[in-house]
Amino acid sequence: MKTVIRKELLDCFQSIQFIVLLIISIILFSANGLIFSAKYSRQQNWYDQKTADTWDDPSTVSLPLYKQPSLLLFLAEGGDKFSPPGYQLHQKGFLSPVPASSQNFKLPDLPELDWAFIIKIIFSLYAILLGYRAVSGEKELGTLRLALSNPISRAGLLGAKYVAIVLALIIPLATGMLISLAISGFKVPHVLNTELVLRIILTFISAFIYLSVFAFLSLALSSLIHQSSLVLLVLLALWVLFVVMVPNTSGILAERFSETPGEYQTAKMVSSQAIRKLMGEKLRPIIDKARKGEFETEAELYRQTDAAFDQLQEELTKLYTVYDNAISRRQMLARNISRLSPTTLLQYASENIAGTGLASEQRFLDDIMAYSSVYDNYVLKKVGKLVGVTNWSFAASSEFKGKRIILRSPRPEEYQGDKSDFPRFSPSRPSVKQSLHYALLDISGLVLWNLVLAMAAFAAFSRSDVR
Amino acid sequence: MLRTIIKREIQEYLKSLKFLIGLLITVVLVTVSTFISLNEYRQRHADYLAACEETKNDITYVRVYRSPELLSVLVQGKDRRLGNQVEITSGSLPYGTHGYMGWYRSRHNRIMAGFEAVDFAFVVRVVLSLLVIFLAYNAVSEEKSNGTLKLALANNLPRDRLLLGKFIGGGIIVLVSLLIATLLALLILISDPVIALGRGEWIRLGGMFAVSALYLGSFYTLSLFVSVLVNRPATSLIVLLQVWVVLLIIYPNLGLVLARKLQKLPGQEEITRQKEAAWAPYEKESKEISNAFSNAFKNGGRPSTELSLRNDEIRSRRAELQYQVDLECGNLFTGQAQLARRISIFSPAVLYDEMMNRLARTGMDQVERFLEAVPRHWRKHVERGKLLWKDREAFRKSKLPEFDYGRETLAESFKGIIYDAMILFLFGIIFFGLAYNGFLRKDVR
Repeated sequence: MKTVIRKELLDCFQSIQFIVLLIISIILFSANGLIFSAKYSRQQNWYDQKTADTWDDPSTVSLPLYKQPSLLLFLAEGGDKFSPPGYQLHQKGFLSPVPASSQNFKLPDLPELDWAFIIKIIFSLYAILLGYRAVSGEKELGTLRLALSNPISRAGLLGAKYVAIVLALIIPLATGMLISLAISGFKVPHVLNTELVLRIILTFISAFIYLSVFAFLSLALSSLIHQSSLVLLVLLALWVLFVVMVPNTSGILAERFSETPGEYQTAKMVSSQAIRKLMGEKLRPIIDKARKGEFETEAELYRQTDAAFDQLQEELTKLYTVYDNAISRRQMLARNISRLSPTTLLQYASENIAGTGLASEQRFLDDIMAYSSVYDNYVLKKVGKLVGVTNWSFAASSEFKGKRIILRSPRPEEYQGDKSDFPRFSPSRPSVKQSLHYALLDISGLVLWNLVLAMAAFAAFSRSDVR
Repeated sequence: MLRTIIKREIQEYLKSLKFLIGLLITVVLVTVSTFISLNEYRQRHADYLAACEETKNDITYVRVYRSPELLSVLVQGKDRRLGNQVEITSGSLPYGTHGYMGWYRSRHNRIMAGFEAVDFAFVVRVVLSLLVIFLAYNAVSEEKSNGTLKLALANNLPRDRLLLGKFIGGGIIVLVSLLIATLLALLILISDPVIALGRGEWIRLGGMFAVSALYLGSFYTLSLFVSVLVNRPATSLIVLLQVWVVLLIIYPNLGLVLARKLQKLPGQEEITRQKEAAWAPYEKESKEISNAFSNAFKNGGRPSTELSLRNDEIRSRRAELQYQVDLECGNLFTGQAQLARRISIFSPAVLYDEMMNRLARTGMDQVERFLEAVPRHWRKHVERGKLLWKDREAFRKSKLPEFDYGRETLAESFKGIIYDAMILFLFGIIFFGLAYNGFLRKDVR
């Protein structure tokens, strides 16, 4: 068995695919290390400066809260560049996104060069290129029947081929990863710590399980089809399906099948016309009462309009929440559809391990909402009242006892006293165990793919006519 | 003789299982992707029409919209990814588009993160280029390894004619595959009752077909060249596939990385600083006018016409100054994007994408046109706004002219792709020349 594995390994290592993969891996992982270490340093500096600004003089009017940049962005960026770097927390829990730093929207839309991208696209393709001739190639050359005339079981031979393919993938992968880590460690020394090493190991294991899917797939088809070039063609078709079609079309499919309203439908509810109408409904009865002289004092009129403005802001907050929830639900649906593909399972597992992507964004929002009540309590204690605000402020004119007055939506007040007891916001960071727990579903999916394809490969090879 | 070789080549390809499987995959992918994109386009178009209708009567917040392009069904480009709305007021002139929910609030970009476009252009760029490699990788190497090449050349058949025959035979098969894919996509497109293709669109579609043929031609001649160079078909296939990976995935990505590294862009802080510096000379004057304007409302009063006009003027001046800073930053964006393109110019996939986007009007050029038209419209809006203080009735009666951003004409689109098409054609010529030269010097024993 050892001899067979050695022979298969030598075959793989001498192949042009292995050498090219090693070179590509070194280039791509080096680029990854350089890009993300520079990006992380930039983001961390920005975050430190902004956070210091927030807590130097925390505001009771609104508080900007920033998301700490992830050390592990280089593992899986997870679309974080499209997320706001933080949120402005207003009283009564309204959140407005902090503008992200300027992105060059004119560049071609190519995915980020993170580890997940390199593994899911390049390495999976090379798993196919290394494995497609494993059985059919030997059949074409006539060496398969010679190999099986030796005292070795078919399962043993296929196992040896599998080990050789996986090792030929793992060696360039490990080399690339180490180079990327060395560059990141050199540029940002504090990146390297025990937690990071554990997360890297988890990523490596996920990558191994993912690449194993393509190794088994190649072996299964190589055993089923006799002509190597045809095996490769079918494998490439499946690669396009798994790596490109399923992950990419699920976004549009989710939009099509989601029952939640689209962006335009939601935007209509918070359009300036809709809001003016809403404001009219709330204020008109009060203004009419004022005109008829039903208010005794000006203070009474202001009290009622303030209450109406407050209700208006609350309704607007609800509408914005409807939009955010609709987007989240649609994103979840798209992600669940795309989970049919092993490539997406690896992507989501990597995001969970790295603590990036949608799940981390949602966790950050949950943390802010939990902090929001602490913040409101503090403001209430210090200022004595809470004023809900959104992106909108309102004004209307009214008559009071023959005099024209302007009614403005109230603004929150800044507390001028001592703020040394201002409650701090500390976003949660999932431990390695928690991250593994979140990633477990996707890793289990990958294991399932492995089991099915391994059985298919062994069944196909054991029934294969090797003459 | 040439005709016999072409006929034989075509028959060989048509009988091969790889051609049938490749064609089947192409047909399935084109059908699925066109149906999905068409459905999505209909929704975007309906939203666009509804939004235009709704904004007509809003006099305070003027919203302008970029119409979704019909041919984005086949080539999505930037059409879906970038939002199609810009909201302007007399005091705000943003640079860039956003979704219907407005600046910062809209998450249209976030929802699409990780989901790339799968359209006709993708099928040609990825799947058909692979099929072409599969068709041509063994055109010469297989005959050499089987020993039929020396038999064929033992007849009264010049080498150049044999290669030409193989080239034309395979080329016809490649064109037929492309034609089937294109006709299928067109059939789905025109069978939809909402879609009406005009003369311009048909010509653009013809251009897209020609560009796709050039792109596939460059891969076809490259495969022919490698097949001439390498004696073992398995080796030529592996070599070609690795070249394909480099040209389609690695090289364009590294080009982008390099462009980002070479041309740095200002951060948000820097842009804010520049805006503040541009505004600093007017700040004092602005505060005075703004305070006077607000104070005039106190105690039920109204500001004078002159004060109101000055207040509007200073607000719009601020918007214009900020826009200038954004515009300069936008020019740097353009510079970086052009650098990335220049670095990746040897990738047929990059050239192909550029040309298809230009022909379908879904590339940055179209978005740039839209962005350039926004300040012109904004100035009209500001001018009209002055009427509000001078003559309220005239303001009510006046209407803002329709927003028009002058979509790219056919001539402009074709002029825009001519150099890229020439480069792609040159690739084909060079590879064919190399294959021809290599074949004449090849040891066929």
